[in-house]
Amino acid sequence: MSVIDATSSAVHLSNRRTRTDSQISPEWVRVSAASAIALQFRSGRFSRDFEFGGINLLLNYDDGCRSDCAYCGLARTRPGDYEDKSFIRVEWPLLKTSELVDRMAGKESTLTRLCISMVTSPLAYRDTVEITKEIRSKVKTPLSILVAPPTLNRRKLEHFAEIGVDMIGVGLDAVTEELFRSLRTDVPAGGAGLSWDKYWSVVDDARDIFGPWKVNCHTVVGLGESDADLIDMFYRLKEREIFPYLFCFNPEPDSRLGEHPKSPISRWRRIQLAKHLIEKYDYRQEAFDFDDEGALVHMDASSEAVEGVVATAVPFMTDGCPGENGEPGCTRPFGSYKPSEEFRDFPFLPDGFDLVDIRRELNLEKLLAKGEMI
Amino acid sequence: MGSLKIEGYELRSGLYYDSLGDMWVAVSDGVAKVGYDPLGLEINGTLAQLGIAKVGTTVIRGETVGSLEAEKFVGPIVSPLSGTLVEVNEAVLGDVSLMHQDPYGAWVFAVAMSNTSELDELVTGDALEESFAERLTAYRLKGVLAR
Repeated sequence: MSVIDATSSAVHLSNRRTRTDSQISPEWVRVSAASAIALQFRSGRFSRDFEFGGINLLLNYDDGCRSDCAYCGLARTRPGDYEDKSFIRVEWPLLKTSELVDRMAGKESTLTRLCISMVTSPLAYRDTVEITKEIRSKVKTPLSILVAPPTLNRRKLEHFAEIGVDMIGVGLDAVTEELFRSLRTDVPAGGAGLSWDKYWSVVDDARDIFGPWKVNCHTVVGLGESDADLIDMFYRLKEREIFPYLFCFNPEPDSRLGEHPKSPISRWRRIQLAKHLIEKYDYRQEAFDFDDEGALVHMDASSEAVEGVVATAVPFMTDGCPGENGEPGCTRPFGSYKPSEEFRDFPFLPDGFDLVDIRRELNLEKLLAKGEMI
Repeated sequence: MGSLKIEGYELRSGLYYDSLGDMWVAVSDGVAKVGYDPLGLEINGTLAQLGIAKVGTTVIRGETVGSLEAEKFVGPIVSPLSGTLVEVNEAVLGDVSLMHQDPYGAWVFAVAMSNTSELDELVTGDALEESFAERLTAYRLKGVLAR
């Protein structure tokens, strides 16, 4: 899920901080709880043993993110001080950037992907550049930026490429314009420059600058879109050689969507599978049938072939920027579910026991049955 | 009750310690109160919630009596002793941060022991320091402790 957002594209730098006592970017930066554990800034462990090397950074400002997205833990109108707010339901420890970079350099051989998440702030671009340069001076691990489109233009994206960023993520999150507007633009604290058109102009520019399969759009399952909306977006992005990365909506307590239900696991699994079939096996759009509400009710495919794909377990792994050699890079363990809940996306290749659960959740027989066709 | 500190971790000389579940045990009149020791708490990261079996449940040493969930971890709570679960600390179940604040005050459950000889399998007294140092080293090697 994107961090992102807001502020007009005419970003003013006049309010750049004058205080020196604040623990704000670029001298300070937040990291995900999983990253803090992996880098041993914080004690803790993961429920299952796996290699974890995807380090996520988040800019930090006293006044936080200027946007007010309905589902985001960092939203302006979500109760609480910004510094105490969770994001993706967990704390993001605040660290000195220099110490973080040194620690990453010391563990570079274990790292697969780094990502800086901007927030919508007039300071975000300059600070992202500074942090990127500091990282690049000591760490070679591939680096993505999850951008805040309202703070950017083409020239700034070009500069990201020049200083060593290899992938750009755009937190579209909502896959239809109407949904985007209702959750992110027409919001209580004001849209702060977030608009569907601005996001797509940044996607277009990033695609031109960074090239095929070097740009991704985050797409969240469960914000109110239909399966047909999601699948349509997967095709649109594939045509432009842009990755759609899947995220499962996970309600942030006290956010405006704090009571909005998570998508059923069966829906989530089917979307994971459908996306994988589209991306890796060129499934044609006509193979997917939907009901009047746009829910996926049938896939016209041989059960043997689909079961073969399911058996690889790959469709159910976390969808994120790759490592240097194409291996899963950003794996966000327990990013959209609690450790006590069933895995939504797996930060490792699911094993045979996991596949038993996955098959039950998919209920493929029903999805592939001819009688289910509309 | 005397206490000693090893690399910042407090251990208490009048208690028993169980490396199976990283727990302390305080015995009084055949009933053992059980809680997580400071190292046992730290390795899991920030706790989110606990679940414990119902009072009256028969528990067996080394077997699951509940579950512990932290930010990025969920796992079984292993009973250090056999017997009957006679009490659960509802205050701790309602606010797991109490365990981080006061590991020795925040006991989790109490067992009426059915086999007191099992206490011999726990660590206490002079053996404590060496045993704890071994546990600490093992967790350091696993990389689960901040540095």
